Amino acid sequence: MLTVIVTGLAIGMLYASIALVYNVMFSTSKVLSVTTGHLSMVGGVFGAYIISVLQMHWLWGLLGAVLAGATFGWLTDVLAIRRVLARSDEHLWLLSTLALATMVQQGVGLWWGTEPKPFPRLITQEFGAGLMDQKFWLPIGMAIVMTIGLEFFYRKTMYGKVFIAMSEDAFAARARGVSTDKIRLLSYVLSGALGGLAGFAAGQLTFAFFALGHTLTLLGFIALAVGGLGSNIGALIGGAALGLLNSFASYYFGGEYQQTIAVGLLMVVLLIKPEGLLGAKNVRPV
Amino acid sequence: MNSQTTKVLSLLVGAILIATLPFWAGDQYQLHLAALIAVYWILIAGLNLVVGFTGQLSIGHVGLLSIGSYTFAILAGKMGVDPTLSVFVSGLLGGLCGLALGLPSLRLPGFYFAMATMAFSMIVNEIVLAQVDLTGGGIGLPGPMFPKPFDSPIGFYYLVTAIALFVTWLTWNIARRMWGRAFISIRDNPVAAQAVGVPVFKAKLLAFVFSGITAGVSGAVFASLQSYITPDTFVFELSMFFFVCIIIGGRGSIIGPFLGTVVLTALPELVSPLAKLGNFFYGLLLLVVVLVVPEGIGRMFEIISERLRPRIVHREPITPDLNRLAKALKGHE
Amino acid sequence: MSVMPAELQAINISKQFGGLSALDQVSLTLRPGEVHGLIGPNGSGKTTLLNLLSGYYQPTSGSIKLGDEDLSLASVQRRAAVGVARTFQKPRLLPMLSVLENATLGAWSHSESGFVASAVSLPSVAREDKKFLDQTTELLHGVGLGHVIHRRANLLDHAEQRFLEIARGLAMRPSFILLDEPAGGLTTQEIEHLSQVIHTLRSSGIGVLLVEHHTDFVFRISDRVTTLNVGKMIKHGASDEVRTDPEVIRVYLGA
Repeated sequence: MLTVIVTGLAIGMLYASIALVYNVMFSTSKVLSVTTGHLSMVGGVFGAYIISVLQMHWLWGLLGAVLAGATFGWLTDVLAIRRVLARSDEHLWLLSTLALATMVQQGVGLWWGTEPKPFPRLITQEFGAGLMDQKFWLPIGMAIVMTIGLEFFYRKTMYGKVFIAMSEDAFAARARGVSTDKIRLLSYVLSGALGGLAGFAAGQLTFAFFALGHTLTLLGFIALAVGGLGSNIGALIGGAALGLLNSFASYYFGGEYQQTIAVGLLMVVLLIKPEGLLGAKNVRPV
Repeated sequence: MNSQTTKVLSLLVGAILIATLPFWAGDQYQLHLAALIAVYWILIAGLNLVVGFTGQLSIGHVGLLSIGSYTFAILAGKMGVDPTLSVFVSGLLGGLCGLALGLPSLRLPGFYFAMATMAFSMIVNEIVLAQVDLTGGGIGLPGPMFPKPFDSPIGFYYLVTAIALFVTWLTWNIARRMWGRAFISIRDNPVAAQAVGVPVFKAKLLAFVFSGITAGVSGAVFASLQSYITPDTFVFELSMFFFVCIIIGGRGSIIGPFLGTVVLTALPELVSPLAKLGNFFYGLLLLVVVLVVPEGIGRMFEIISERLRPRIVHREPITPDLNRLAKALKGHE
Repeated sequence: MSVMPAELQAINISKQFGGLSALDQVSLTLRPGEVHGLIGPNGSGKTTLLNLLSGYYQPTSGSIKLGDEDLSLASVQRRAAVGVARTFQKPRLLPMLSVLENATLGAWSHSESGFVASAVSLPSVAREDKKFLDQTTELLHGVGLGHVIHRRANLLDHAEQRFLEIARGLAMRPSFILLDEPAGGLTTQEIEHLSQVIHTLRSSGIGVLLVEHHTDFVFRISDRVTTLNVGKMIKHGASDEVRTDPEVIRVYLGA
């Protein structure tokens, strides 16, 4: 039973991390990018490549994952967001991020292969380590570190405060001299790095698999919607709820209806409380 | 009048080409490809009303295709029901599932809606894999053939082409009249749509259910064409493909997405390096179109011809004809 | 038809947004065949009142009535169906459709063509559509847009967009039309044409609510005027009376 809970929390914290990434991107651009799940996929794949194939120390793998994610985040802003936001058609960014996500997923598939490959151990540990297995506490720890880090970033640093200003009123921020384009780019690079980090930390749970992208985009989104857009604590709660639900459903019903149950949760929450558990009521997600 | 004659002529030529295709197409493979285009177009024509007209970005229609295919394969294959009846049931079930999906999710904002449709297609896949007794699970099911004269490749081609033409006619009728304008208003300016009295949610739902029916029918004939279906046939990338055909062809048009379907289905077959790139190519194409000509390639041709043949726009002042206005207003009583 | 033509009324309307009071006990009666001006400085609540009348907001207290029917909670679409049309401060058009198609959209409430009937192109549907297109063509010539009937809406200049919105509103066959700053950005000549059009609407029995900044224009063509300031009604009555009212003059020429 404890295994079920810990497994659920671990995978749930990956979803929560992705929800955090959504929040960072949304704060400065009011865009929910389809590429969000793919950031984690890229982090996991590149990390596995550097450690397993290039046989380098795991710290290099970590760095690689972060850089890959950051680059991808940068690409997302430059290619899919910047020109598109200038036009008034609201849904164009949905199309452009979907296009970019597909390109990256297929590109990784062509390079890395279409089979999920095992993600290497970061610290030597027996595979029978049970509940203390690093594949559990790595993603859980990462999500907590990210949340605390973001809180610190928003409260104590200049850039963090600018992010908040932009998320509340981009027009006013621009009027005060904030270069909203640069800040948005920064937020995408940051969220890319975070996404890559999350994927790296959860690699041993998910394996390095090119097709994770769309699935993680969806499941991370479910965690976000349940917890409430804009709330980091909500992201943690949403992720935990989703992960635990998946885990218990697998245990009792045999894992065949994981997605069905996950979406069931989403629909119920959205029908009762569309803004999520901790979401602001007047936040209008486009 | 000249552009009108050109349009009618090209439609006529197109109709003749389509009607005589089995006789000039190179080989069985190309005939198969043509039938596949027709099958895809049955779904895409309906989806066009959702994506291209009401502007709802559904990326989960492969789920409805899957439902149509499996319904047909189970009814006409496993249970021996008459194939024609099975097609009807597939369409009906597709419509019902469209209703079930649309009711809760069409109220959601854009990204949420897209995710809900994506989730739907994943759920369908899960259920298909899980219900092994019914669907054969990972092994899949054979797709039954139609009775004579539709059991030959040529006969089948004419069957699906006839269905495709019928669906095209239906959507063309919708598009060019009041409902088409109402749909476009929902896409481009929902506040204006409300202001003239368009029931926004109901209209979106109508389009969506219609697209579910066409997806169901398409699924049925798709199963027959493929002669064997497995869960792997119905991947998310197929949803992307349908979607891209419409966006590239141009929203708000019927012929645009049709040409998009023809080109995007045929291209990887004819240009083999593209086939290897597969979905990367569709993603790239979508990105380029969104960044450069978001209104679709059809519009791009218009822009080019406008540049080549600059029409000086004569600015005339607005001069009301008050008598005519009074008469028009009185005529309303 | 009916003995007493129905009036569109806002009765003791108050509207609060959170803690902010946008309107405080405002009443206004719009009569058929009458032009009613609504003026006030920025933030006075004119657009809020217009949004309440057309159904985009619900009143915090008070009611909106059309004749005997209480419209206070009625949807925007319901109000369109009972004959309340409006234009917008920033024209809301469909850029990819022609002027004719845009304006004909206004006839939606009067369409009896169901979705299925339209799909199979029943003769009644074709007839109805032709009728709407013909009627709208007449309206477009009437407001002065006959020369751009087939032009795509995103190629129109500002004035043409405004007149198109009015034509679309008229295609709704309304009893009342609420105009939200229609003169904004128009030349003197165009404002003159607008006045003529409004005058014709009035003679046809349509009740016109004119929300405007151009106070001269409003006083000139309105029968009655209501003035607002910070959500409260200052003065209402016949156009000449209101124009010469000392309180009104103070609000407009003062701070």
